[in-house]
Amino acid sequence: MVLDPETVKPSKYERFRIETKPTPHVYQIPNKFDVSARKVRLAAMLVREAFQFKLNKEVVLSRPCIYGVFGGRFGGFKPLKHKCVGCMRCVQEYPHIMTVKHSDSYKRLGDSFWTPEAVFTIWNEASTGKIPVKGMGYKGAFGGEGFDGIWTDMSEIVRPTRDGVYGREYISTSVDVGRKPTSVDFSKIDRSSPTITIPVPIIFDKLPAGSGDVRAAVGIAAEKLGTFYVSRQRTPFDFGPASLIPVGDEESIQELVERPSAIVEYDAEKSDLFEKLAGALPSSIVIARVPLREDAGMVACKLTRQGVHGLHLYGDYHGQDYSKEPKHISASLKEVHQQLVKEGLRDQVTIIASGGITLAEHVPKAIICGADLVGIDTTILVALQSEFRGETRDRANCQMKPRKIDPEWGAQRLVNLFGVWHDQLIEILSAMGMRDVRRLRGDIGRSMMDAELREQSFKGIAWAT
Amino acid sequence: MGNLELIVEKHSERIHHGIEVLPSLRHGLPEGLGNKRWTAELILATYEMALTGDLPKNGLEYRTGNSGGGFDVLGWKNNGFARIDQESVDLSIPLNKREDGKKITIPLPIYGGGMSFGSISLNFMLARARAAKRLDTFMSTGEGGYPDEIVPYRDHVITQVATGMFGVREETIQYAPIVEFKYAQGAKPGLGGHLLADKVTSEVAKMRESSMFTSLYSPFPFHSVYSVEDHKKHVDWIKTVNPRALVSVKVSTPTDVDMVAIGSYYAGANIIHIDGGYGGTGAAPEIAKKNIAMPIEYAIPKVHDYLVSEGVRDDVVLIASGGIRTADDIAKAIALGADGCVVATAEAVAVGCTHCGNCERGRGCQVGITTTDPELSRFIDPEWGETRIVNLFTAWSKRLRSILAGFGLESVRDLRGRRDLLVRYK
Repeated sequence: MVLDPETVKPSKYERFRIETKPTPHVYQIPNKFDVSARKVRLAAMLVREAFQFKLNKEVVLSRPCIYGVFGGRFGGFKPLKHKCVGCMRCVQEYPHIMTVKHSDSYKRLGDSFWTPEAVFTIWNEASTGKIPVKGMGYKGAFGGEGFDGIWTDMSEIVRPTRDGVYGREYISTSVDVGRKPTSVDFSKIDRSSPTITIPVPIIFDKLPAGSGDVRAAVGIAAEKLGTFYVSRQRTPFDFGPASLIPVGDEESIQELVERPSAIVEYDAEKSDLFEKLAGALPSSIVIARVPLREDAGMVACKLTRQGVHGLHLYGDYHGQDYSKEPKHISASLKEVHQQLVKEGLRDQVTIIASGGITLAEHVPKAIICGADLVGIDTTILVALQSEFRGETRDRANCQMKPRKIDPEWGAQRLVNLFGVWHDQLIEILSAMGMRDVRRLRGDIGRSMMDAELREQSFKGIAWAT
Repeated sequence: MGNLELIVEKHSERIHHGIEVLPSLRHGLPEGLGNKRWTAELILATYEMALTGDLPKNGLEYRTGNSGGGFDVLGWKNNGFARIDQESVDLSIPLNKREDGKKITIPLPIYGGGMSFGSISLNFMLARARAAKRLDTFMSTGEGGYPDEIVPYRDHVITQVATGMFGVREETIQYAPIVEFKYAQGAKPGLGGHLLADKVTSEVAKMRESSMFTSLYSPFPFHSVYSVEDHKKHVDWIKTVNPRALVSVKVSTPTDVDMVAIGSYYAGANIIHIDGGYGGTGAAPEIAKKNIAMPIEYAIPKVHDYLVSEGVRDDVVLIASGGIRTADDIAKAIALGADGCVVATAEAVAVGCTHCGNCERGRGCQVGITTTDPELSRFIDPEWGETRIVNLFTAWSKRLRSILAGFGLESVRDLRGRRDLLVRYK
């Protein structure tokens, strides 16, 4: 058969990619390192070197830094601290003169959950849109609690792997949101609940604190990314209205009917609104917000049997659940997921997990623990350079203060963040040899738990007395 | 002498002097130095050992880091053993336990890991090769090719064949007493090697047959290997090109690392080299280093026990790497089930590395280790570097002998799998 070029339609297929671009900080960030010189000793050293190198200016003034810390007009007398990367060469060369330490302002960053390193990571990801890459191995603590105690698997020989990272093979990060029927019911085929596919398994959860600018940035970013944002604001924003997930209550149902959204959430702890919302909004996906605590699994099963289209399971901003003896959401999520699996209900609902999702690695790990997708909260404010003014564990006591920003700038920072997290998700999936993030859901067998491995590998080793 | 020479000489002398002085703590413990894995004390202790060839005598912690897990929460039992003379302790291990093939024994249970030309400077590569020769052990080329300058040391150089096949030629396989297949590496498991554009100079590009200043990402996996049978073909290929060569198979540490190990054994490997997630020297995504694949401390017992249960443990050499920082780490790895260890970062620290992790950017390492910058590279004089590495391993040998003598063990081979000699700290 010969194809007629006139009748062949061009493909509409476009590979999903997130357009990142450099979006520098608008508020000055603290210097990570504090470089200082003992000035008298520095002057004496310069005099000594002037004699030693016979006033050869180029040699005398050649500086012990390849990053330009001493490249200012006053050299070591007034180091350009923002350029310091902590390589310590100046200390190696002149240990009696130079001191380099982590700056006090750096050490004060964040709160008991957000470490300075994590804040810097988010700032860099949001400003550069590039995956953090460094040399010389891992430098942090061994394993740990919560997400830190989970390692993802890798595969020595299967495809797609590295090729996926550079787009030669496609790895899908799309997830479906909505109720999935277990069988086709032809009598209800016109009334089946819809599902929506979003290209990255991340949404913006309710802002811990916000200003109009921040909300606008989130709306614009959600629209650009093809994802959603949750908000209690009843009036849709001017930016990204189609991406809004309103949180409905008794009073707002009429308003929601007048301005329907593709997805709507309600607080299952406060009211049993599902029937009303589903009835009033037949084309919307109705998701119940459920706090993670001891009874979350039972509540999830009950709501799923009732017909909810999705569950938004949340912990506090430090990633702890609301049990009497709080545990990390990774543990509670696994329990809820496994209970739904046991009851044969898991495949019918979408699970969104949020609370303490603050680094790229938390996305695949939350999915391994049973979520379909995650919601981010405080991370939004960190990316937008909000100020930390104390502990922010929940919305009622938010100690993060948003700064005045240009919404377009903020939106690009969030797009960058998603771009970097998407690329890192691909790194994890490619290492595991997975083509689709949906396959990762609840696949605990492709993860390794610190606590379990420790007991297996160190079995028989006596405790020190 | 031109200004450039004077400048290089000035900074080179200052750096070398500084890393000699810092361990004395005359100027205090540098606050910004180190991290949880490589603490400031551990870095300075390594400088000191590389200077003196002996263990630090001023109380610097030279045995463990502060990571809160793995080797750092393991210690040694300290009672009930009849101590023997530590000079009589034998540290040698064989690298071929199969009946066929060349018998190679190294006098200490350590050899140098793969660090490629391009990721490190030629001078540092030469320092490592010279040290390997003096110690009668080995160092690996990494996947960046085989510079002519290291050919004189070829009896102590392992040729690495990795997925990018950079610089792999018939003669470089024929030079090698050991050929190492790198299937994966712990710092970036499942992702292949990275050499970012800044470091791909004309020399590096020529060696790798690539374009200058273009980032080089090795593919992953070997696209010719999707099964143990395919891997066997690889081994056969090497054995055809160089029948004398021993074959080492370097893999990462996935959930099924024990199955990977047994597969490698049946494909004909002499050495199974498992590389845990917390090590590595080259550029790698931070997410990979922290989160993908298990740390070596957990992988060693898993593999050792499985090889024992399959009845082949005494036919294959198990080498561990990826986060081995000290002599104590080596002894612990062996007590957990390894025969010996591969180290790389410690060699870099011996010549001045501060573990700052800025190697991948711009001109690379500020003290000339992981750089291709012609000026910075000159900070490492190969002879000076050789002496420092030899001294470090000499100090480590003393510590290893001391540990073994304390347990009344005459050979490091007797320590293998002796988990009963370890204790755990909370």
